Amino acid sequence: MELGFLDRPHGAGGVRVTGAALVDELGYSLGCDRMHPTGAPVLTAPPGDAPASFLTEAFRGQDDHALKFLHGTTTLAFVFQGGVVVAVDSRASMGQYIGSGSVRKIIEINPYLLGTMAGGAADCSFWERDLGRRCRLYELRNKERISVAAASKLLANTVYGYKGMGLSMGTMITGWDKTGPNLFYVDNDGTRLKGHKFSVGSGSTYAYGVLDQGYHWDLTVEDALELGRRSIFHATHRDAASGGFINVYHVKEDGWVNISHEDSGMTKYYEYKAQSAAVDSTAMES
Amino acid sequence: MDSIIALTGDGFVMCAADMTNARSIVVMKEDMDKIMELDRHRLLCMAGEPGDVAQFTEYVQKNVHLYQLRTGVSQSTRAIANFTRNELAKSLRKNPYSVNLLLGGYDQHDGPEVFYLDYLGTLHKMPFSAQGYCAYFILATLDRYYKPNMSEQEALEVMRKAIDEVRIRFLIKQPDFLIKVVDKNGIRTVSK
Amino acid sequence: MSILEYNGGCVVAMAGKECVAIAADRRLGIQLQTLACDANRVFRMHDKLFLGLTGLMTDITSLHNSFDFKLNMYSMREGRLMSPQTFSSLVASTLYEKRFGPYFSEPVIAGLNKDNTPFLCAMDLLGAAAYADDFVVSGTCAESLFGTCETFYRPDLGPDDLFETISQAMLSALDRDCISGWGVTVHIITPEGVTAKSLKARMD
Repeated sequence: MELGFLDRPHGAGGVRVTGAALVDELGYSLGCDRMHPTGAPVLTAPPGDAPASFLTEAFRGQDDHALKFLHGTTTLAFVFQGGVVVAVDSRASMGQYIGSGSVRKIIEINPYLLGTMAGGAADCSFWERDLGRRCRLYELRNKERISVAAASKLLANTVYGYKGMGLSMGTMITGWDKTGPNLFYVDNDGTRLKGHKFSVGSGSTYAYGVLDQGYHWDLTVEDALELGRRSIFHATHRDAASGGFINVYHVKEDGWVNISHEDSGMTKYYEYKAQSAAVDSTAMES
Repeated sequence: MDSIIALTGDGFVMCAADMTNARSIVVMKEDMDKIMELDRHRLLCMAGEPGDVAQFTEYVQKNVHLYQLRTGVSQSTRAIANFTRNELAKSLRKNPYSVNLLLGGYDQHDGPEVFYLDYLGTLHKMPFSAQGYCAYFILATLDRYYKPNMSEQEALEVMRKAIDEVRIRFLIKQPDFLIKVVDKNGIRTVSK
Repeated sequence: MSILEYNGGCVVAMAGKECVAIAADRRLGIQLQTLACDANRVFRMHDKLFLGLTGLMTDITSLHNSFDFKLNMYSMREGRLMSPQTFSSLVASTLYEKRFGPYFSEPVIAGLNKDNTPFLCAMDLLGAAAYADDFVVSGTCAESLFGTCETFYRPDLGPDDLFETISQAMLSALDRDCISGWGVTVHIITPEGVTAKSLKARMD
């Protein structure tokens, strides 16, 4: 048995197919040269014996570094009696410049698994798409859907292989499997945490401020969706790097549903302001 | 690491501050009062480097008292805020004070006011504010639950939610908070 | 982030036919955290002279206090209001006095001369003045503002058209900057008087 890969866990080994580009068992091109024996694509690391420190220096050392990551964001997800609510903003900021106001930060891995994007957009979308491919392989091999725990573990292990090389992702993997609704937080350090409530991004502290105070397990579906929406709204108001649209998804037993896509800074702000003014005036009259 | 919060209500200002004093990894004191009483109707919540905080806030307090003695009237909250800001701005480029403040006061003419003052000399009047790492968590909580002209009971509820949020989410243990209220009758303590 | 970008904010001024408009955003922030949506960056020096200041908020306040004082002393001594040209020299020398420890603020001056022709001037933090007869910009989204102003500006606009133009230029530029925005005030200065308006802007 070829166990050489155990000595080189950081993706230095793998199966090489000569000639054509590497494909996996389903025939999907992996878009890279090598495949790790566990099934994850292996990306080429810089030559030499310390790729991690080389990359850090090359891309992070200088002020005007070549690779700029889009870190400003607010994403949140929480589990309650009716499933999982996932809410995100849609701003992509590079330093102080707004690159885009309409980024889709919820990645639909498959009809019953969702992933969120925070950190490097390319990193999140590539590895979560790859996760989708591997979840499908699992389904075909085992004739049953993959659990959220296993899916998040696959992602965490893959990302751990590139620890220190500069991947930037803080993602939440969520879905409804045999054990009920599940939520895992996975990030580029290899952290994988199971929980009921997470918020990730530069505006996460503001989102927690509203989410923590409004959350309880027995929320109705409407209240839960509104809580998710409201938390993102408050985060976009206070955090400069979050904004744009608020996207809300609801994960139910039979899969996820895209609930709403509303403008935060223009529509929602004035709507909430009018609501509280109406409440104040009725309170004064009564 | 200090957490200070202030909000205006119907004829009063409510200030809260944590009571922990820590040096590197050790908790030195758990019953510290970080809300200084400048005069009968003004509270100054302090955060920042210990030596600077003590020196600067006492300096402000004594000057407020001196003005009162010289002229026989007390300065308005806005005047005190501007005096404090000028002192911070003057020393910024010579010998800066690393002090962040929230000045809350009840004024005869202008009513309850909260002024945000940071170590650079940025002065801004706000309906509610917070300084320190806690601001990252509770500004959104206050945005969500604060209403103008709340009664003291409602304000206490909102303040409790904010303090609760700090307790749940902030890395540093800050179990006790001191809450003081200032209104036209003076200052009283509503302990946590 | 540099010191000039610590608090965020931007100002733009545009000239029309016998009128000028000056617009500024209303955000006060500490780097990425927004503290307030009602900060004031445009100050009335007198009815035909407005000063917009961007950069570090504490220096904006200090400079505004200093110029208010100097202008009041001038009016008392000379018995007349300071002209925009003289004021721009005053601002430039005040800033250059601190050449080796500058105020972190970049002013924009907008006013009407004695014959009601518009006066516009922008400076960097050391007092290098750039005079223009169309528009001047300053702040964290200055590059974006240059782009939008260049596109929307037409010479000799009346007060209402000038208001529309400067508002659109401002709002479009703000939508591409994280650390400015959260509201806009516009002042339109005409020989008859000053009109101040607030714009409904994105609050994220």
